[in-house]
Amino acid sequence: MSIKFSVPIFDIKNLNFIIKGQTILSNISLEIFTSEYIAIIGPNGGGKTTLVRMLLELEKPSGGEVKIYGKKLSNFKEWHKIGYVPQRASHVDSSFPATVLDIVKMGRISQGGFFNSFKDEDKRAVHDAMLKMDILDLQNKMIGTLSGGQRQRVMIARALASKPQILILDEPNTGVDVASQKNFYALLKKLNKEEKITIVFITHDIGVIADDITRLFTINQKAIICNNPKQTLSCQEMSELYGIDAHLLHNHRHEH
Amino acid sequence: MLEMFEYGFMQRAFLAGVIIAVLASISGTFIVLRRYSMISETLAHSALVGVAIGLVAEYSPLWSAIVFAIISAWLIEYLRSSFSLYSDAVLSILLSGSLAIAVIIVSLGGAFNNSLFSYLFGSILSVSSEDVITIAIFGAISLGALLFFSKELYFVAYDEEVAKTSGIKVDFLNFLLVTVVAIIIALSIRVVGSLLIGALMVIPSVSALQFRVGLLKTVLISLVFALLSVICGMTLSFYFSLPSGATIVLCVLGIFIVSLVINRK
Repeated sequence: MSIKFSVPIFDIKNLNFIIKGQTILSNISLEIFTSEYIAIIGPNGGGKTTLVRMLLELEKPSGGEVKIYGKKLSNFKEWHKIGYVPQRASHVDSSFPATVLDIVKMGRISQGGFFNSFKDEDKRAVHDAMLKMDILDLQNKMIGTLSGGQRQRVMIARALASKPQILILDEPNTGVDVASQKNFYALLKKLNKEEKITIVFITHDIGVIADDITRLFTINQKAIICNNPKQTLSCQEMSELYGIDAHLLHNHRHEH
Repeated sequence: MLEMFEYGFMQRAFLAGVIIAVLASISGTFIVLRRYSMISETLAHSALVGVAIGLVAEYSPLWSAIVFAIISAWLIEYLRSSFSLYSDAVLSILLSGSLAIAVIIVSLGGAFNNSLFSYLFGSILSVSSEDVITIAIFGAISLGALLFFSKELYFVAYDEEVAKTSGIKVDFLNFLLVTVVAIIIALSIRVVGSLLIGALMVIPSVSALQFRVGLLKTVLISLVFALLSVICGMTLSFYFSLPSGATIVLCVLGIFIVSLVINRK
């Protein structure tokens, strides 16, 4: 597949992250372009989440630079273009006083006008996001009463309500049942192909989505960029990455 | 029952109490949702430093209480965000520290008297017309700020990091919330007392949360509970010569127990 890219959405140069003398990320340089579907894999503690948190300005790098749409993160104002679904998406405080609709509406708050009134445009965006995630019938339910899979859809609907150009997902399917995960992967593929939303997805299930993604980043202190994810990584590379026998990491991309 | 309103001090106390119930319950909902309930106790003790200085200097303790509560609120936020300290540890340190400073000041100034006692436990006798006007004006400003940013504060309470990544000024909102809470606490200690105001902020909200409804309904239920507690507490305080703060807190505790029981799964 040939991919034609222009100005990168994210331009990361020589990024380092050192905390309490321990190097988490070292000299990471990579670019993410419009309409890409990037999967990020790597061992636990390898720095995947740290990298994503630096893209979102939740962590400050020890060295190097991140640019977003050609601007420094500190000068970037259009954060509504980024949808973020964190790792703990399906874990919510069951007593929090919020309906599904309340949560999805949060996705429009940063674009609110004077007195933060919800305009027709906001209502449409919230409705569309719930429709896409098939949660319209749940909109008046309290968030604490939903299953893990349903909560996951609500969190993604909230991210979609801001009409993002980029969706960053940090293993949001942890603890979600297999059927919901399958639907979730199909949805990500659809958002990328049909809506042209750029997707950056931290996952351990690379085998399941290998056919959907455009590039694969493997992060374990350093980054290995794989431009042809269908080849995936060789056993030797996987062993180097995870530090264990790669044959144990067999993923079910194929039918047995 | 209307006999008590024949007294000017009761009219003033009721008016101040009702305003405080509105302020405490609405701001309390946000601090409870932020898992920040203990801040009300800490700021109430910090306000006591201002009260002590006011009493010793023979100057209106209300103003110095507001100033010290705000300084303490900002210090808490600064320590929490800049030194990666645990929130509850920061609150505990400032609570003990403030109380120690307040006690030393009143002790050195020889102001250990009934006046200090009324600020610790609340007194309906001590509310002046100036107090009511100050509570009404500052209360309206504080409430306006809270309501203006209520959607953002709600988002931050639900998920601070995601709110930050959507462009919401989380640091500013955190400072705003603690500042508003500091002002409300300082305004309230005349009626409820610094040792008991935390209860009026937190318990109505926690009781309302037992009903598992959306934010607006939770705030409204919390407001009704706070008003009910203040009205019942003050009435009992008047007829049985009890300290107003303690009576109000006992009423709100009763409401909490009923809320727990009727919402038991």
